[in-house]
Amino acid sequence: MPASQFSRRAFLQTSTTLAKGSLILLAAPAILTACKKADEAMSSEAQGFSTLSDIEALELRSIAARIIPSDESPGAEEAGVIYFIDAVLGDYRDDEYRAVREALLEVQYNAALKFSASYFADLSTSQQDELLIEIENTAFFATIRYLTIAGMFSLPRYGGNKNKLGYELIGFDDQHAWAPPFGFYDADYTARGE
Amino acid sequence: MAQASYSNQEEVDFVIVGSGAAGGIVAKELSTAGFSVVVLEQGPHLQAGDFEHDEWAYDHNTHLTWGARQGHPQTFRKTEAEIAVRGPSEPLGYAHNVGGSSVHFSGNFWRLREIDFIEASVKGTIAGTNFSDWPITYADLEPYYTKVDWEIGVSGLQGPWDPPRSREYPCPPMPVKSPGVLLERAAKQLGLNPYPAPVAILSQAHNGRPGCIHCGFCNGFGCEVNAKSSSMATMIPLALASGNCELRTGCTVNRAETNEAGRATEVVYWESDGTEKSQRGKAIVLCANGSETPRLLLLSESSRFPDGLANSSGFVGKNLMFNGYSTVHGLMDEPVNGHKSIPATRVVHDFYELDSSLGFYGGGGIDSRHPSRGTPMGFALNSSMFGGPSWGSDFKKNLKHEFTHAVAFDGHTTSLPVATNSVSLDPSAADKWGRPALRCTYSDHPDDIKTMKFFMDKSIELMEAAGAKNISGFYPETGQTGNVHLLGTCRMGDNPESSVVDRYNRSHDVPNLFMVDGSSMVTSGRGQPTMTIMALAFRAADNMIQAARRGDI
Repeated sequence: MPASQFSRRAFLQTSTTLAKGSLILLAAPAILTACKKADEAMSSEAQGFSTLSDIEALELRSIAARIIPSDESPGAEEAGVIYFIDAVLGDYRDDEYRAVREALLEVQYNAALKFSASYFADLSTSQQDELLIEIENTAFFATIRYLTIAGMFSLPRYGGNKNKLGYELIGFDDQHAWAPPFGFYDADYTARGE
Repeated sequence: MAQASYSNQEEVDFVIVGSGAAGGIVAKELSTAGFSVVVLEQGPHLQAGDFEHDEWAYDHNTHLTWGARQGHPQTFRKTEAEIAVRGPSEPLGYAHNVGGSSVHFSGNFWRLREIDFIEASVKGTIAGTNFSDWPITYADLEPYYTKVDWEIGVSGLQGPWDPPRSREYPCPPMPVKSPGVLLERAAKQLGLNPYPAPVAILSQAHNGRPGCIHCGFCNGFGCEVNAKSSSMATMIPLALASGNCELRTGCTVNRAETNEAGRATEVVYWESDGTEKSQRGKAIVLCANGSETPRLLLLSESSRFPDGLANSSGFVGKNLMFNGYSTVHGLMDEPVNGHKSIPATRVVHDFYELDSSLGFYGGGGIDSRHPSRGTPMGFALNSSMFGGPSWGSDFKKNLKHEFTHAVAFDGHTTSLPVATNSVSLDPSAADKWGRPALRCTYSDHPDDIKTMKFFMDKSIELMEAAGAKNISGFYPETGQTGNVHLLGTCRMGDNPESSVVDRYNRSHDVPNLFMVDGSSMVTSGRGQPTMTIMALAFRAADNMIQAARRGDI
């Protein structure tokens, strides 16, 4: 389904499975030029955002920060996931970007209705979670979750995974070559002479 | 010697369409035997230095496999009664680059066994299917399997269930990983016979290529050191060095032309900028894979061949087989680190042939891996498979433990040839060239689904024996909607009424046309077809050389 066929309501209301419901996946993305965008993305932290408005960026980074929070270890915020999202939504994805913008307006509407706040970002984290739980089965949430995770674990050149914080988080050693033993059980296998 | 260069008007000896697992081998064999060869490949010539550990590009932006984004949409339907529709991704997966899918495959290289070639005679026919014997036997193909072992480069150790071989593996097995240890120990507890997985990845230097550095970005990625035995790394360099082979990349073949005598004369293709060209040849070899080869034949219809070229049997595009699968995940107490090194280091082949008392046909093998092929993004996107939340603090906390402690036991199984499972031309959707899009019609045979469930259940038993926690299993209960093993669509046989190519991969209808890739497979094997596709390619090329030399092409 092309993104342009998503009404704002449909985008928030479409019930989906989390992994497969992302609008970006559904729309079969045009990201051929993502590599070329890399330098822009990397420098955007100093220069602001290339696609998102400051308010949109603020709202999306607040949502990303609830998906992979900063707690005892760094999260989506420290990894600069918002710069990845900015680069991807700006990469020949006008329809998807429009749908995200419209869905954000509805998120803000919900924030106002429920907590009398103008912005999602102004809410407490527990209020933010409460609103996100209500929409966690929507294509919008699946899309932002997908982009947050992709931004956390893609190569830093795409704008996120700053200082390889995502890799560090899951114990993925970003090393080009390995030698055995690789894990506990094969070390043990060798030690026992199996 | 420099790569050859031929003019489009010149009639070369062989025009080869596709440079993948089969095309690379046919190009090398024919060109080093002294024949003039032009290879036409849709994709670019990426080499070791071009590949990166870039999950976003390869897995999420289909840099190698292409799709609708690059102008190659496909459609899918389960039965012929339905109208096929576009889905979120293309049903038939294959690579668009020199070396084809042998560049990014997992390298599992199981030979077929004697039984695979004669199974219909032994087990009996199966209603509603075209389950048949092959026109050749394991003994016919064995010398060519050995050629694959040594010329392509395979690492392994003869296992308890393996068919006889005329020569040992050139390289010893790859070092065992923790997922392999866990499968081996569990299988032994259950009285089974696990053994080292044979793989087309070098455990030590061979034929001027280095051994694997265990980087982990293997299945889905191109090898950065040429330790993976793709046709790009092994065959194409030899073909080009022969001085008889020209490799033209970015060339999409649209049709094969024939003359009054019913012989193939040339192929018509587009260069990447859309310029139409043609190349004349004394013979044409289609190695475009089990979906594009039948599509090309169907696109090459003419007044003489109204149902598509080489299709007097009506079997072009029919009998599409995929191989079935199952997967079972679990978490271990200690680090498994399945993301390091190659995908699979141990296999269990005790269930190669399921007991007929089960009441259904099937068989397969089980290997052990990391649940997301070791990819961080793919793992995080699917990590709620272990039952935890999919976002938030606990999601993050779980990821930290699960990525390094997860293990998967995967089943790889048979797929029956059913005439209504097919590759055909879509009547409404078109690709970027305006050609009818590939349409896939596919429903797994009920026995295939029962087989997948059997392998999932068996893998759960193994996972329990391995001491894993949070075990969960999956198999495509309602049937597969796509695959990367594209088999059977120009099946091989002695009878021109029920097969497309003869026992030497030559068209029954067009004497100077050959189809060499997964399409000629009569049965699916147990899940790892590339070894057999490559052996068939060596054998077909050998016979093309002999036939050409005696003036019989």
